[in-house]
Amino acid sequence: MALLDVKDLTISFGGVTAIADLHFEVPESQVYAVIGPNGAGKTTLFNMLSGIYRPNEGSIRFLDKEIVGCQPHQVAQMGISRTFQNLQMFFNMSVLDNVKVGCHLRTRSHLWSAALRLPNILREERQAEAWARETLIFCGLEKYIEMPADSLPYGVLKRVEIARALASQPKLLLMDEPAAGLNDTETVEMRGLIRRISESGVSVLLVEHNMGLVMQVSDRILVIDYGSRLAEGLPEEIQNNPKVIEAYLGGEVQYAV
Amino acid sequence: MKRLGGLSLFALAVALLPFIFPDNYYVTVVAVSAGLHAILAISLNLLMGYAGQISLGHAAFFGIGAYTSAVLTTRYGWNPWPSILVGLAFTGTLAYIVARPILKLKGHYLAMATLGLGIIVHIFIVQMGWLTGGPDGMGGIPTLSVFGWTIDSDERWYVAIGVLLVLVIWLALNIIDSRSGRALRALHGSEVAAEMMGINTAATKTGVFVLAALIASVAGSVFAHQQAFVSPDSFSFFFSIELVTMVVLGGMASTYGAVLGAIILTFLPELLVIFEDYEVMIFGGILMGMMIFLPQGLFIGLKDLLHKLVHKRSNKAKQAASQKENNHGVA
Repeated sequence: MALLDVKDLTISFGGVTAIADLHFEVPESQVYAVIGPNGAGKTTLFNMLSGIYRPNEGSIRFLDKEIVGCQPHQVAQMGISRTFQNLQMFFNMSVLDNVKVGCHLRTRSHLWSAALRLPNILREERQAEAWARETLIFCGLEKYIEMPADSLPYGVLKRVEIARALASQPKLLLMDEPAAGLNDTETVEMRGLIRRISESGVSVLLVEHNMGLVMQVSDRILVIDYGSRLAEGLPEEIQNNPKVIEAYLGGEVQYAV
Repeated sequence: MKRLGGLSLFALAVALLPFIFPDNYYVTVVAVSAGLHAILAISLNLLMGYAGQISLGHAAFFGIGAYTSAVLTTRYGWNPWPSILVGLAFTGTLAYIVARPILKLKGHYLAMATLGLGIIVHIFIVQMGWLTGGPDGMGGIPTLSVFGWTIDSDERWYVAIGVLLVLVIWLALNIIDSRSGRALRALHGSEVAAEMMGINTAATKTGVFVLAALIASVAGSVFAHQQAFVSPDSFSFFFSIELVTMVVLGGMASTYGAVLGAIILTFLPELLVIFEDYEVMIFGGILMGMMIFLPQGLFIGLKDLLHKLVHKRSNKAKQAASQKENNHGVA
């Protein structure tokens, strides 16, 4: 059984069809990349997968449960987490607290018991802090743990966002352009991080424009153009697919990194 | 226990004040009203400062609490305590019902909707004269007594409200420093990211809105019993704005900031009375100055300033020390 099974997915905005009849399957424990030119509908796809948009037609099944019709926090409960193309940091909090928010689903306390600071709150706080620190160290962010989020450079924030998503212990992590805006060193670090995430047993669905990165980390690749499926397969197959080369890579394949 | 160090200090200051200034008008009268304002500002700050949901109608919940207590005790002869509970139930229910539709709105629209709520409640209080006494208000509200200890003097009210304030600060600090508090701040930081972390943002907004309303309702009931008289003027649109000013002036997303803002906005007009006709102008000028020079709010602004001063001094000390060492080395 596939981890994520997308069938006949269609969404349009005021007559413009952003995604048309898209189907693909993400196998478990893999890095699955979605590529396509700007405006191909990749972020729209992510927004449907995370419950932010509701598709007009089609189904998205995650571990055999339907996602269409769920709210984002319900999707998160099922075990999907994500990062955003434009950072969605909690800039009013420290790095540690940002990642502690990621532990929201692993903790249980309510407003009312928190107000009275019942004994279970203290235990939960210690637990959440330990989890958050562990995740930050996993992402190589130990230097920044206590810092306020609004004082950090972009490249670091990108990783804090990943740490926050990982802190919820997702089964599937959606990464929307993790390397966008990063310099070469940071991109290499990001490649290592994506691999470590995948090795830790979390499946990754990756949208990325940096072809070098995509080819190096992905197990399978889906190419979409104008919201439709153009090709799907192993990285080598995609590289040699004439349709992809023509539509997307413009006839000449270049590798950065 | 570092977490509650500030609170202990504050409680100590509240406890000592009457001994330092015995029989002082500012302590027994103005401080009591500052205390109530502080409780209201803390509750509004949870909603506005932490969760980022503006409310221009917070006085409505304060008013409902006050009038429920006033009506039940004077017209129906109820004991004050169950009246407070009924006030809480009433306010909580109303807040819960309006929260969902209102909190779907954002920014200016939310401000307008809460403003409308405040005005509607005010109109009800004024127009339902048969129940509320209309614009003239209603008097003869009995005072409270706790386990036989009747709160019948200004000094006793000072104690009672001091205790209540410390309790509310404690509750607020506890909430902020927890899973739910982080959910509130996350909501403020990025709603979509908060949702994606599994936070039910609609339920969280409703929760904090109801909580803030409940605290305001208790403050309202206590206010009614303390004043023994209520009139619609105390719960008007202008008072809602004053509460917002307290929160912004003290510093958004800081519980002590809200307390400080409330204290200043209560004392300042009293102290400026000596300027007579110019009072309002000076008051406005001070507010503008504070916002221009300390835009993060007074509490955080002053804290940063203090931090800088201490830092500078310790840096200087370090420099001097290292210079000395160097000199020794040369010698």
